[in-house]
Amino acid sequence: MAHETHSKTLPADLSAPAVVDTWKTRALIVGVIFAVIAVILGFLGQGQDGLGWNHLLRGWLLGLTLTFGFAVGGLAMLMVQYCSGGKWGLLLRRPLEAMSRTLPLVFLFWIPIAIWQGKLYMWANHGIVDKALSLGQITQEQVTAIDHYIHFKAPMLNPVSFIWVNLICFAIWGWYTWRLNSLGLKRDADSAGNTPYWIKKFENISGIGIVIYSVTMTVAVIYWVMSLDVTWYSSVYGLLFLVGQGYQVLAFSILIALSLSQFEPIKTLLRQTEQHDLGKFTFAWVMLNIYIAFGQFLIIWSGNLPEEINWYLDRIRGGWGIIITLDFIFHWLIPFTLLLSRDLKRNKKRLIRVCQWMIFAKAFDLFWLIEPSFKDASRNLHFSWGILEYIAVPVAMLSFWVVYFAIQLKSRPVVQTNDPHLAEILEPEHAHA
Amino acid sequence: MPPREGIYGLLAEFDTPSDLVRAAQKSYQDGWRRLDCYTPYPVEEAAEAIGFHRNKVPLITLIGGLMGLTAMFLLETWISTLAYPINAAGRPTYSWPAFVVPAYEWTILWAGLSACYGMFALCGLPEPYHPLFNAPNFRTGATDDKFFLCLEALDPKFDLMETRAFLETLEPVSIVEVEY
Repeated sequence: MAHETHSKTLPADLSAPAVVDTWKTRALIVGVIFAVIAVILGFLGQGQDGLGWNHLLRGWLLGLTLTFGFAVGGLAMLMVQYCSGGKWGLLLRRPLEAMSRTLPLVFLFWIPIAIWQGKLYMWANHGIVDKALSLGQITQEQVTAIDHYIHFKAPMLNPVSFIWVNLICFAIWGWYTWRLNSLGLKRDADSAGNTPYWIKKFENISGIGIVIYSVTMTVAVIYWVMSLDVTWYSSVYGLLFLVGQGYQVLAFSILIALSLSQFEPIKTLLRQTEQHDLGKFTFAWVMLNIYIAFGQFLIIWSGNLPEEINWYLDRIRGGWGIIITLDFIFHWLIPFTLLLSRDLKRNKKRLIRVCQWMIFAKAFDLFWLIEPSFKDASRNLHFSWGILEYIAVPVAMLSFWVVYFAIQLKSRPVVQTNDPHLAEILEPEHAHA
Repeated sequence: MPPREGIYGLLAEFDTPSDLVRAAQKSYQDGWRRLDCYTPYPVEEAAEAIGFHRNKVPLITLIGGLMGLTAMFLLETWISTLAYPINAAGRPTYSWPAFVVPAYEWTILWAGLSACYGMFALCGLPEPYHPLFNAPNFRTGATDDKFFLCLEALDPKFDLMETRAFLETLEPVSIVEVEY
């Protein structure tokens, strides 16, 4: 008997299914509702403790970091895919491209932070230090230490450098986004004979791109998040965010690919093998994420130096112990135990649930990183209307980001066709009766 | 146990995994339960075709991993708090963060060893003698490029003539009678 092949053929229409428009509409509604809630909470918080608008800005910072993770992290994952190759890329490339093209929106999100640096960063506005001292939130000794660090780090941490360095970073990410996205279309328009040339070309751009991304991304998160506590530093900080971006980007892009797979053309393309592979890949990121997060903690805990340990004490004592415990459970324990299961990784619905959970867990982790940096909240977890801004503002921002993402996803076919793996992914899995 | 004698089963040889899977499915539908597939590389569909969906290796691995975790964590706790309580930079003797790394390593070690040896045990290995190796085509082909289906004599449906006739309907390359 001859060995029969049952290769599938790709549908003629490769454009994104109509469901993307539904996502867009829904996200828009959610975004508007939560934006209104954020404003109301701002007024409530302002009346309660005078920190309402300040909390709104902190929530905004969380939203910026999260959407930045999707946009620039998506770009980085795209570059990793071009370097590594593999059939999973066919499912994710176009969603990742669309994520990278949301950079202009992230830039818009960045502008308020640049304008109101003085509300967030001690190095931008010494009034924050003075106010904390007058309220008894910090001691004179701490002020001396803070002033020392502000002075020492001034060449990097000052309002002018903040804006220029960030603009340069955005320009670099923008260039890579434009380059990879425009070449992506050119590659598809080209004949199959030129594929090896394109593979090499993308490899060459992406290889250096990953290195440059790692450096610029580290700089950005040092400015945005780490410098909230001007006294503290950690050399693994950039890597921590880099891995965190891999974590959230993979969760989001799997979510998109699996949701698209209910409709053509991804329906034809998605096989259980690649879904399983993506699940395993996600599992690796979950593991690496806790490895680095715990590694940083273990080293600082072992050293027990007064310059470093306070950053953790700010985030453990005064009720924050509950948050860090929940963070550990949400961020690692739950995805880890669930993703251990082979059946779950091969089940679309359940894998989607895990991915949604991971995006929530990432936001929760950012809350734990950001809020205790402020002296009114460090070692003092307490409820205020303002703290709810950490839900309202990021949800609104993420929803508007999804709207923009959906527009970008719609603008191109959802499958790259000029790829040698395409024939393979259309073949049946293993043997078939 | 005295050496078993007689027929172990009938061995059908196929050229492709698809043919094997098709034949295995038909045999299973025909009511065969004592049957097995032999392939040079893993063909999951063949395992599914003969009603073999689950194995206990994941469970053994999980239990092994948890045992490793518990064992090392308790060992370190015992050493640090009871056996050799040393003052290390003023930390409490029960300093769990320091115990995590070795406990994690032992989780992996035990899980890995459990997976490996659990798989051996569940496969019935080591097995120095297996009657199928009496079939010359099996000896050369099973690890190379041939796909085999064996209907075993222990199955109540087994009858030398009828079973051979049934196997012939599956159009194998050859059918070999295998002795114990």
